[in-house]
Amino acid sequence: MNPSYAKPTTPAAMATQSAQLSEEAYRALEDIVGAANVSRDAAVLDTYAFQWLAELVRPDQSHYMPRPAAVVLPGSTEEVQAIVRLANKYGLKVKPHGTGWYHWSGPIKDEDATLQLDMRRMDAIVEIDEQNMYAVVEPYVIAAQLQAEILPLGLNLNIPGVGCSSSIVASACAYHGAGPDTYYMGGNAENVLGMEWVTPEGEIIRTGSLGSGDGWFCSEGPGPSVRGICRGTLGSRGGLGVYTKCAVKLAPHFGQTEWNVEGTLPAYRLPVHENLRVYTLAVADWDAWAEIYYKIYDNEIGYIFHRQFNLAGADLSPAFWLMHNDASKTLSDVPEFVADPKIAELTEELRISFQLILAGRSRDDIELQDKILEAILDEVGGWKVERFCEQDMAEFTNVYLQRLGHKHINFVWAGGYIGSWMQFGTPDWVKGYVPTAAAGLERDAAAGKLVQCGGDAMMGSGSGIPLGGATGLEQFVSYDPDDYESTVAGIMHMEDAVKDAASISYPPGKEFLYLQIGWTDEQIWDALAHAKQPQAFHYQRQIKEAFDPNDIGDRMYPTLPEGYEAGS
Amino acid sequence: MTNLIDGLAALVGRDNVAADPASLEEYAQDESFVPRLTPWAVVRPGSAEEVQRVVARANETATPLVPVSSGGPHFHGDTVPSVPGAVVLDLRRLNKILRIDRRNRMAVIEPGVTYPQLQAALAEEGMRVTPPLLPRANKSVVASLLERQPTLIPRYNFHLPEPLRSCGVVWGSGETMFTGEAGTGPESLEAQWQAGGVQADPKGPAQTDFFRLLTGAQGTMGVVTWAAVKCELLPAAHEFLFATAAELGELVDFTYRLDRVRLGDEALIVNDAYLARLLAASGAALHPDELPTWALVLGLGGREHYAAERVAVQKKDVTALAGEYGLTLRPSIAGTSTGEISAALVGCCETPWKLAAEGACADVFFVSTLEEAPAFVEIAHIVADGHGYAAQDVGVYIQPQHQGVTHHVEFSLPFDASVAGIREDMKDLADDLAANLMAAGAYFSRPYGSWAQPVYNRDAAARDALRKVKAIFDPAGILNPGKLCFGAPKAPAALVGKEV
Amino acid sequence: MALTDYRADAMRCTRCSYCKWIPFDLVKSHQFAKGCPSIEAGKFHAYSAGGKLVTALSLMDGRSEVTDRVVDVAFKCQLCGNCDVACKMCRYDMEPILALRELRAHLVEMDRVPESYRPLIERKRAALAGKGPKTPADRNAWAEGLGLKDPAVEPVDVVFYAGCKYSLEESLRETVRTQVRLLQLAGLTVGLFENGCCGGLADKMGYRDEAAEAGARMLKQWADAGVKTVVTPCADCRHTFTRVYPGLDGAPADLPEILHTVELTDRLVKDGRLELTTPVPLTVTYHDPCNLGRQGEPYQVWEGVEKKIYGQAVVYDPPRPRHNGANGVYAAPRDLLAAIPGVELVEMERSREATWCCGAGGACREAFPEYSAATAAERVEEAASTGAEALVSACSRCELNFAEAVAADAASGGPAAGMQVHDVLELVALSTGLREEAS
Repeated sequence: MNPSYAKPTTPAAMATQSAQLSEEAYRALEDIVGAANVSRDAAVLDTYAFQWLAELVRPDQSHYMPRPAAVVLPGSTEEVQAIVRLANKYGLKVKPHGTGWYHWSGPIKDEDATLQLDMRRMDAIVEIDEQNMYAVVEPYVIAAQLQAEILPLGLNLNIPGVGCSSSIVASACAYHGAGPDTYYMGGNAENVLGMEWVTPEGEIIRTGSLGSGDGWFCSEGPGPSVRGICRGTLGSRGGLGVYTKCAVKLAPHFGQTEWNVEGTLPAYRLPVHENLRVYTLAVADWDAWAEIYYKIYDNEIGYIFHRQFNLAGADLSPAFWLMHNDASKTLSDVPEFVADPKIAELTEELRISFQLILAGRSRDDIELQDKILEAILDEVGGWKVERFCEQDMAEFTNVYLQRLGHKHINFVWAGGYIGSWMQFGTPDWVKGYVPTAAAGLERDAAAGKLVQCGGDAMMGSGSGIPLGGATGLEQFVSYDPDDYESTVAGIMHMEDAVKDAASISYPPGKEFLYLQIGWTDEQIWDALAHAKQPQAFHYQRQIKEAFDPNDIGDRMYPTLPEGYEAGS
Repeated sequence: MTNLIDGLAALVGRDNVAADPASLEEYAQDESFVPRLTPWAVVRPGSAEEVQRVVARANETATPLVPVSSGGPHFHGDTVPSVPGAVVLDLRRLNKILRIDRRNRMAVIEPGVTYPQLQAALAEEGMRVTPPLLPRANKSVVASLLERQPTLIPRYNFHLPEPLRSCGVVWGSGETMFTGEAGTGPESLEAQWQAGGVQADPKGPAQTDFFRLLTGAQGTMGVVTWAAVKCELLPAAHEFLFATAAELGELVDFTYRLDRVRLGDEALIVNDAYLARLLAASGAALHPDELPTWALVLGLGGREHYAAERVAVQKKDVTALAGEYGLTLRPSIAGTSTGEISAALVGCCETPWKLAAEGACADVFFVSTLEEAPAFVEIAHIVADGHGYAAQDVGVYIQPQHQGVTHHVEFSLPFDASVAGIREDMKDLADDLAANLMAAGAYFSRPYGSWAQPVYNRDAAARDALRKVKAIFDPAGILNPGKLCFGAPKAPAALVGKEV
Repeated sequence: MALTDYRADAMRCTRCSYCKWIPFDLVKSHQFAKGCPSIEAGKFHAYSAGGKLVTALSLMDGRSEVTDRVVDVAFKCQLCGNCDVACKMCRYDMEPILALRELRAHLVEMDRVPESYRPLIERKRAALAGKGPKTPADRNAWAEGLGLKDPAVEPVDVVFYAGCKYSLEESLRETVRTQVRLLQLAGLTVGLFENGCCGGLADKMGYRDEAAEAGARMLKQWADAGVKTVVTPCADCRHTFTRVYPGLDGAPADLPEILHTVELTDRLVKDGRLELTTPVPLTVTYHDPCNLGRQGEPYQVWEGVEKKIYGQAVVYDPPRPRHNGANGVYAAPRDLLAAIPGVELVEMERSREATWCCGAGGACREAFPEYSAATAAERVEEAASTGAEALVSACSRCELNFAEAVAADAASGGPAAGMQVHDVLELVALSTGLREEAS
């Protein structure tokens, strides 16, 4: 599996597109969407092939995934159906994306002729039903847009960890959908209601109550829930048809209905509403960390619950965030902040910390929640980190976590970031991998080819399932995608992380999913076959055979060939 | 036939197979209007392995299996065979509570575990599983959750299958797997617990919500041999409040608001007829005339730190809120005590309370948004009247679900089955009511009995998709054939023309 | 400079798409969340700043060639700077707008430009060579009778530079004359050179040589006359003076103080040298011109190298100044409006650093009139949504585009029908009594 790491002597090769689109097929696409909405210009295609993380999995660490055969911008469900039927006819792959932020948004195999569907023309908020607390959206509505529309109504929505720039339909139907809000608001898997799904055969399945013509409000049934076919822990990531609309359940919002952000960029501030509290809390050790999570779950306080700021690395985090909140400073100023003795103290104080926003429906309610939190802190020996609870940082934290529009900071150090680890489980289980994950990053960064921000650069939601009970910590490993050796160090870190996890009997983490994008089919099958219960992937093969008989979806919907077993 | 019995006996032991009329009678019919059909045998496996062997054998012999986990009487027709030659797969011997984990608030149970059994065990750890409304004492927790029976606390209902989490399943094909988070670990609960897994996430594994293919399935996809369920903490402080009204519409906006701001625990709306029957089950004999026409029953609970103060704050907030909607909250209803209400709602009932009034009961239920409910009640009254059934006797139960987005709406019509011809009349009424409700937009998400055909006619795409799924997980079609949109089992080629 | 100077920017683009939107913290609605006119019109990802970076990379890597589409991608863009602001919300190592400008310059060197560019640049070249239809003297016809001094021979308080639009557009004549008269009313002696285009349009188009030539002439003119302060009503010209001139070969270390007329007028009002006493009862919404706002902040030329700290964290030696739109000229026009009795300011959702471009910038008004008009139409719709009676700005090109967009909207019965379009200083002039009617 290891690529040769000798530095290539030639620049990234001109893509040789072995799988071409016939003229007939291209003209047919023009007929469907209009000539202005389809392109096969090489540079345009490259802008879809170019993807974050591609450099970690592609030959010669190319920053480009395979080029699509054409990019198509459908404007309606009917156009999507027509495109899908065309793909069936001409033996093409179909790969839809919303905002397209992940290397698997692009085509996966060089030898496939893939139609990249860019869903940006379908960007309507179809309906907001305030009374029944749901909204219906098309694929290019991003979370920021819907949140902005519903906050004045006293409603909010779960914004997944990727942030508010992401497509709601994509996270609800096609990927994961958990984040800092999930503990209170539900993840997008729990929140998705009716879905409009164009199957790989070009049929439309409308799930739940929608299919019966009774509206969007119920995702289950009739009888067994049809949505179970296409959306599990993860959705099909573009590999099993196209979602053209969905409804999502909304959540109550107890804060300001007028969104009046203040401050000077990038240090925007949102005043903390009197019904809210915005805290950065810390504990002394990882046992106490697990304890406090359990106590938060059991005491049912918390509206937004996330270990956010630690992504910058525990050694550098307070220096970075305080620098970032001074609009006159840049990364060049971080060393000065680090050298400040007060910040050194703060760094120690913040080592094992996380953010918690409380929301009360009334003054009595929020004051009671404050008391409950104090009691919990007392029990576990935790504390509120004073500097980060001061008005400026609290207001920054408030806008950061409520809107979740700073997710590009994941890349702030060097332009590249891998999320490794992030195995999902109980707090007791997750704390078990922290020391190994931290030591692994320290080790891998020691040679200076990755950002040295301390071994604990881990971020994660308080609970990735609603009501509490399951968390995960994602290691933020920063590399420079413009530096070959740094990119290779990133790849080696991913491979190390897989081994490190195995060494403590933990399953591999997120990096394993990333690495697979660059594998051959056989390598992936081998990995799937070694899953503890590979039968899931055999069932998925059968589901694919039933719903995608002409194989127009790619392997982002993973399957195992019939009869394939570990050691095949 | 003898071969069938012998074959099954070899798998589960002679004592655990029965084919005598007395044993089979309890499965041949239920309180619904599905046609009576006596199974050929009942088999009672004692372990997941035995379940798997029975299912495998059923595949070999094209034997229809009807899984049953609860004791009778049954109400929805899903446990009555729809085809001849069926064998009832009675799972009640799988009745162990496999694990209770207070720290992670999880319990792992077998399908034969009943509500009283589980709640008593959980109570020792200060927990309970969010219950449905007054289940009968022999009701299987797993069956209730699998069939998406609504639970009482909307704010815990983050999605309809809650609190059902990971499961162990024997698919109709005889293959086994774990669903959810449990599907990513070794196929051994002990091994998973050893490694710190608690089977908490129901989703997946991978891109398929396998557990969702089992929910609402009436046992047609697979047989669940264990289920993990999320538990809530028992409230240390708890009381009930009531908002009453002459018209359902007066309660709608307030209920929406309660659900939106997640105030309260138990929250349900019942009419006088329904409430009277519930109270009667706990011994409080009240005539509907003594009760308000409509009542929203709201439980306030406090747990962990400041339990009593939590209740007090909620009470203050909800009282203020009620005032905004012109409603007054009362601490009791018709002189009943908190204990009586608790028993009426949150406990279990030794005898099936719905049958207590008249001996039989026709239930028609579906899901909808709350604002549509008054119109559906109107339809129920009109249809009932049209069939000569007194509108005021129609019991109505509305259960907010999914934190106020979906609502279970149930019409309950008791009748005296001993009266000649009444059963057929009530069947006509129930069918007519269902048809009218469906036409008016009621979503029959759990299409039992005669509801299935119109539901799948309306949603042919779902029907076709589910048939494809059925062909994957139960290719021989042996699990509860004739239910939902699934037909008779396919005889394996080897058996065509042979005796079983 | 070369396109390869921005290879690292392209390689470090994460394809996050932030460049397509206004900073997310500022989003207040579904409709007005978009930030990039180029991708709104062009639709394919290539049209976003990130997409343009990758287009550049694809060319640099030899993976594609310059096609008409590539030309469209690179030039159908106002260089409005939203991408720069949005990207820099989270990043300290990216310079999107500089990269986009470099891509243009690169294509200009290859002579791969939109066909609509050719007559434009020919006119600019002719003017530079003194062969244009309008001489420098012609360009000063607007100032007739105002008594402006020749700074080369007389002492002046400020040198006024009108810019091409204000110099030559009839419809703007009263506006520019009013601006001068305001300064004179405050007691300033105002000077006016005879000169040509500042070179800004050529620079935006990617014709750096022509821009440098124009700039060199202007700088010499100022230096020879010992000019201390230059004031211009043109946001584009101000941008050129503050962002382009300092980087030209031979540019002096200290340029004159460059002010927009709103900045200077605001100072004069605050110093009490102008009194705003006549009420102007009008609800207005203010449009931040890109080149005065987010692209109009104090600017330092930087030369240095990239270096790494903490292993791979990207910083610069010397530290690179941060131009992220934070310190644009946002306050001065607003303070002026606040000082006018009777004026009520209602902000659009996309204001200050998040302004939606008027459509005229980056030579788009000239080269892509439909695209420019569509961009403006979006903005006037946003202005109309505030309920304001008037859309005011501080840039000739913005005001021209808006006036046309309002007229087009009215013709189709749209929401902006009847909306007035004014320059901020026209309202100031009304309030000083200098004018009785706004134009």
